[in-house]
Amino acid sequence: MTATTSKDLSSAPAVETIGVAKRYPSGVEALSGIDLRIEPGEIFALLGPNGAGKTTWISIVCGLARATGGSARVLGLDVVKDALAARRVVGLVPQEINFDPFFKVREVLRFQQGYFGVRRDDARIDEILAALDLTAKADAGTRELSGGMKRRLLIAKALVHAPRVVFLDEPTAGVDVNLRRDLWDYVRELRRRGTTIVLTTHYLEEAEALADRVGVIDKGKLLVLDTPGALLARHGARRIKIKLAAPLTALPAELAALGATLEPGGLELSCPVATPGLPAPPANGQPAPAEIRRVIAAVAALDASIAVTDLRTEQPTLEQVFMALVGHRKGAAA
Amino acid sequence: MNVIGWKTLIAKESRRFMKVPGQTILNPVINTALYFVVFGYALGGYLRELDGVPYIRFIIPGLIMQSIIQNSLLNTASSLFVSKLQGTIIDLLLAPLTAFEVVSAYVVAALARALTVAVLVWLVASAFTSFHVAHPAHALGFALGVGVVFALGGMVVAIASNNFEQLNLIPAFVITPLTFLGGVFYSPHALPRPWSTITRANPILYMVDGLRYGLIGRSDTNPNLGLAIVVGTAAVLGSIVYAMLHSGYKLRT
Repeated sequence: MTATTSKDLSSAPAVETIGVAKRYPSGVEALSGIDLRIEPGEIFALLGPNGAGKTTWISIVCGLARATGGSARVLGLDVVKDALAARRVVGLVPQEINFDPFFKVREVLRFQQGYFGVRRDDARIDEILAALDLTAKADAGTRELSGGMKRRLLIAKALVHAPRVVFLDEPTAGVDVNLRRDLWDYVRELRRRGTTIVLTTHYLEEAEALADRVGVIDKGKLLVLDTPGALLARHGARRIKIKLAAPLTALPAELAALGATLEPGGLELSCPVATPGLPAPPANGQPAPAEIRRVIAAVAALDASIAVTDLRTEQPTLEQVFMALVGHRKGAAA
Repeated sequence: MNVIGWKTLIAKESRRFMKVPGQTILNPVINTALYFVVFGYALGGYLRELDGVPYIRFIIPGLIMQSIIQNSLLNTASSLFVSKLQGTIIDLLLAPLTAFEVVSAYVVAALARALTVAVLVWLVASAFTSFHVAHPAHALGFALGVGVVFALGGMVVAIASNNFEQLNLIPAFVITPLTFLGGVFYSPHALPRPWSTITRANPILYMVDGLRYGLIGRSDTNPNLGLAIVVGTAAVLGSIVYAMLHSGYKLRT
């Protein structure tokens, strides 16, 4: 579902890059022509392995890097020709943690408001500190913050001037699970207020839970661009996983015929049950598709030779989609 | 113009040095006062007068100029370089501030520090000698102008440097020698030829001598030529910093 929860008065897309390319003087091509259009009010997740070009693309849109080709606009403002106006509407949470040990948390946020021409507004600062669970640290020096707190301070800095488009480059790296959920809620809350959110993340479940649309980028090229649901339907595979009491040394022919595989160790069978366009679990009351019945029948027929201890289905995940698209890369996480 | 942003950057850069006043204000004042005591009192007893001026009075303008040069240079150079190193420079690069706003804010904060030190040194030195100022407009003009020049110089050095070694290169091997050879402790025409001529190629000589004209009314060079050199140097360095920030040289990839 492409979300258009908030209507933008100007019809300009929140972010639009046309043929954005980046070639470094060394000859390395970080981006080779990215066409991407993100609608106002959307939560968009950009995924790709390390070095795919995600941060480079964000840096160009935020004005930290210069494109060597193409153009980028934020809310219709060209990031080069209308650089100052474009910067005013953008907030960026950079991937690398930085902090100025000279100042306290509240001071840092006041400076940040000021840079963006916003008059001092402590109520706004308090609201953001509360949302990011930093209220108790308002008067602490930045050096005293833990890693996760420093990252949340970066998020607070990016939001304090109420930007209309927020870029979150790995916002939850090093943030514990509870807080990550809180952050997701806050991201959704921002979207409800009309903020457009572009995020990159290592946690594919994060993209799955949050994003209206997902773009997968690799080696500077955009590979796919769609809603998580459509990507799951197209690239994901549902599997039936069968745990065995005793390890099998060979895969029974009946199951091999159904495309099953034996996991290393021989204790688990994995049978694909590709059901295009139907990522929903069978628990929704619909009759099991023919493939599932066939797998169960084959297992039942083998009952004498194998003892089943557990049977579950594995739903397609973005991780599968991701691995299918860029799995050739070592350590490919988003 | 983003006035709020500009004022915020000035406030931040000023508070930065005000948070460590021992290091940024007191330390330079004490160092300069020590020069004053050692050279002015201990050695000045032997030298007594230089061209009719008591030696202790002769060296005051040079010592003040030395503080202005060091502190304006250090303030911008260390602040900008450290923020590059820590990555907090990204705040400035993302903010809707023009290159001019950034440069002028850094310069104003550096002037605040350099002039605070200068005034304190002047007060201490004057307490031992006299509070009389011969040409206040020239004194102020040279103090401000030279502060601007070296604040800009500090920014150029900080942006261009990739590590601490490079950051130190120009201050340690160019600025400090030129300052010591710039007539802080002696009059250029006291040098034997050809040094008395060669020394006139040193722009810092005109700065020290200009402030000496302003404070005690005595100079070896034409103070207006000195002011022209200060304004010219500031214009050249200002253009370089502006171009660096505007183009994103070594700051934006």
